Amino acid sequence: MRIVVGIKWVPNTQAVRFDPKTGTLIREGVPSVVNPHDLPAVELALQLRDRYGGEVIAITMAPPSAMKGLEHVLGMGIDRAVLITDRAFAGADTLATSYVLAEGIKKIEKDIGKVDLAVFGQETIDSSTAHIGAQVASWLDWPYIYYVHKAELAREGVLLVERRLEDRVEWYEIELPGVISVAMKALKPRPVSLIRKIRVKQENPVIVWTNKELGLDTRCIGLKGSPTIVSKVTFTPEVPRKKVVYKPRDGLDAAVWLLEQLAKDEKAGKVIERAVRGEF
Amino acid sequence: MNGEAKAGGQEVKMMKLDDLLQRNVYDVDEEPHIVVDYSKCDKCPTKPCVYLCPAGCYTLVGGRILFSYEGCVECGTCRVICPMDAITWNFPKSGRGIYFRFT
Amino acid sequence: MPGGSTPQKFDVIVVGAGPAGSAAAYLLAKKGFKVLVIERGRGAGSKELYGGRVYAAPLREVWPELDKEAPIHRWVRKERISVVNGETVATIEYTASKPVSFTAYLPELAGWMAKKAEEAGALLVDEVRVDEIIVENGKIVGVRSGDDRVYADVVIDAEGANRLLLEKLGMVERASPENLAVGVKEVIKIGGKNIEERFGLEPGEGLAWVLVGVTSGAPGGGFIYTFKDTVSLGVVVHLRGAIKAIESGAFTDHVYKLVEGLRIHPYFRKLWADGDIVEYGAHLTIEGGLSFMPKKLVAPGFVIIGDAAGLLLNTGYTIRGVDFAVYSGKLAAEAVEEAFNKGGPTEENLKVYEEKLRDSFVYKELVKHRGIEKVMKDPDFFTKYPAMLTLTLGKLFEGEYEEPTILEALLSSAREAGVPLLSSLLKLLWVVRRL
Repeated sequence: MRIVVGIKWVPNTQAVRFDPKTGTLIREGVPSVVNPHDLPAVELALQLRDRYGGEVIAITMAPPSAMKGLEHVLGMGIDRAVLITDRAFAGADTLATSYVLAEGIKKIEKDIGKVDLAVFGQETIDSSTAHIGAQVASWLDWPYIYYVHKAELAREGVLLVERRLEDRVEWYEIELPGVISVAMKALKPRPVSLIRKIRVKQENPVIVWTNKELGLDTRCIGLKGSPTIVSKVTFTPEVPRKKVVYKPRDGLDAAVWLLEQLAKDEKAGKVIERAVRGEF
Repeated sequence: MNGEAKAGGQEVKMMKLDDLLQRNVYDVDEEPHIVVDYSKCDKCPTKPCVYLCPAGCYTLVGGRILFSYEGCVECGTCRVICPMDAITWNFPKSGRGIYFRFT
Repeated sequence: MPGGSTPQKFDVIVVGAGPAGSAAAYLLAKKGFKVLVIERGRGAGSKELYGGRVYAAPLREVWPELDKEAPIHRWVRKERISVVNGETVATIEYTASKPVSFTAYLPELAGWMAKKAEEAGALLVDEVRVDEIIVENGKIVGVRSGDDRVYADVVIDAEGANRLLLEKLGMVERASPENLAVGVKEVIKIGGKNIEERFGLEPGEGLAWVLVGVTSGAPGGGFIYTFKDTVSLGVVVHLRGAIKAIESGAFTDHVYKLVEGLRIHPYFRKLWADGDIVEYGAHLTIEGGLSFMPKKLVAPGFVIIGDAAGLLLNTGYTIRGVDFAVYSGKLAAEAVEEAFNKGGPTEENLKVYEEKLRDSFVYKELVKHRGIEKVMKDPDFFTKYPAMLTLTLGKLFEGEYEEPTILEALLSSAREAGVPLLSSLLKLLWVVRRL
């Protein structure tokens, strides 16, 4: 199988702070990361390759700094990567982005060989649109399934995917070539491997394409090709949360622990007191 | 923000540790790089980790240790001071964890 | 196929792209060795934290272009030492004729050093944690990360103060709070102009400030350094001392409150008023380098450098770690080259590293200041004596009608601070003899 997996190089939103004085985002010194929701997609693609053979190609449309992110997924085991980078692509919304990615996949088919499957993450942490998978499928006119947790070949040319929803699990057969989006946290991404990363550094398996190679109509890409208008963004105040894991001995222990936690909080503590006094 | 820290002798307050840690960049691994054996903590008389872990990863809840790794700055203090040998300590994999910039 | 089966063989593998590792890698790569540097962080430098100051001369021996190219923030012209007791502060200030040290963000500086190594031909692999040093037939032959094994003629251990690999190898004992301290710091952005105005500095000039009496009963001290447009402030607390202070009830609060206490201290807070805290972090540091030093710094195919080798000097008024680390990397690179020329990196041939180190300023400094360890662990020096000093000065300067003589002030302050005068004089004399 030849699998293409889409990667987005995003600011680490956890570290981007909102300056209430100026109303802008403080991005200085904030490093970018591979969109965390893309990593289960990478993992699924790698598992399919490990099982059925072939290769996995990562594709991204990004500034050249995204090379660091490609190195990360190449270190996980991706075979090679395509970096589509050109000032002409800057300012793209999801429509223009998915168009370029779809054209990138077509060029992979032309230059390298037939693509069986394109895999995307569910959404990105910096914009959360969840558009890209569906739009790429539309541009390519390939079938599309999202919220995928598992996938295997049902038979030659047909992928069997498991899709988990809130109240049920669904199985679909999807004819290849096709597009799937992998659900957040569906799979645990494998760590970066020493030997893979050495190979990345030695062989630099990244192909760089600008619009010179892709030759796309400039009316369809970048800012010009982006009909989306962001009219206003407001930020909700940050609520610092401390994630804690407690392994209770039994249900009672869990309930007592939870009450103790809540009682420590000033506001929640008062509510509990009132509840104990039977004021509700 | 550090809004309270006005010049000129006005009262200034300490920040909460959680708010300090918010200033840092992390790429938190889903898998904890430190594992704590609470059964040993229950027997620990001094629990120095509660005072000395700079990231406050060890807190006391109802007299028992509660550990959370997300704010860890990977200094290694807990490993060195734990009198009960209750901590299995390692660095995060794949470059995850704290990302220092100005230190 | 996770990992892979491609056999990989290098001349040298360096574990850790900190100052020590990158110096060694740079020099060896420049000599044509096939060098692999493995770094656990995302990019070299992302896991680095120190106080803020580096001594330049030893670094220039490795990189003569240092002054021009390195990400230097300010050259330290002003040194201050303060004794703090509650709200009272006694300060000595010294302005140097020519600066010998500079301030820098260690993530940036280590990044620069690693880039130098890469440009010289070393292969830098980041985001990879080494899990084990591989020993075969009594010889060190490579490293393991997960299921991946990579081999080399020599492995240079520059893993830092957290010596997980050396402990696993059995070359050092389990880390002990006896000879380690934790440094905790905040970085506050106030802008370059404010720094120069508030600290009395010319543009490009920096300040290094050491504080005693800010660690609430635990042995340790505080520090303040100035950068381009930020200030770092922090405390270093000796771990055994802190444990004792917790046990005795002298230390009842969280260690981060020592830094916060310094930040909001009425005397110091003006310096970073209206600043924005941009980072908070901590790192282990060595107290008493010689007692932390492994018994052997070499083994067949193996050399230990930097913090992992215990090469850090904390005299209380200066801390030298980065320059010692770089210099040890340089000596290791020389030793490895000589060992190869002599027929191979056997333990016998690599021993020249230990000899070079012993003859260097690094080891001599550590020996010269070895007595300081005791001081650094004596809580009296961090609680009672600072109190005594500031009380004495208070009596001398805060008398509204009458002024005591110096002796009167000293005697009554010693009583109030709970210091037996004779024993303290003896202690001070003992310290002075060793400084």
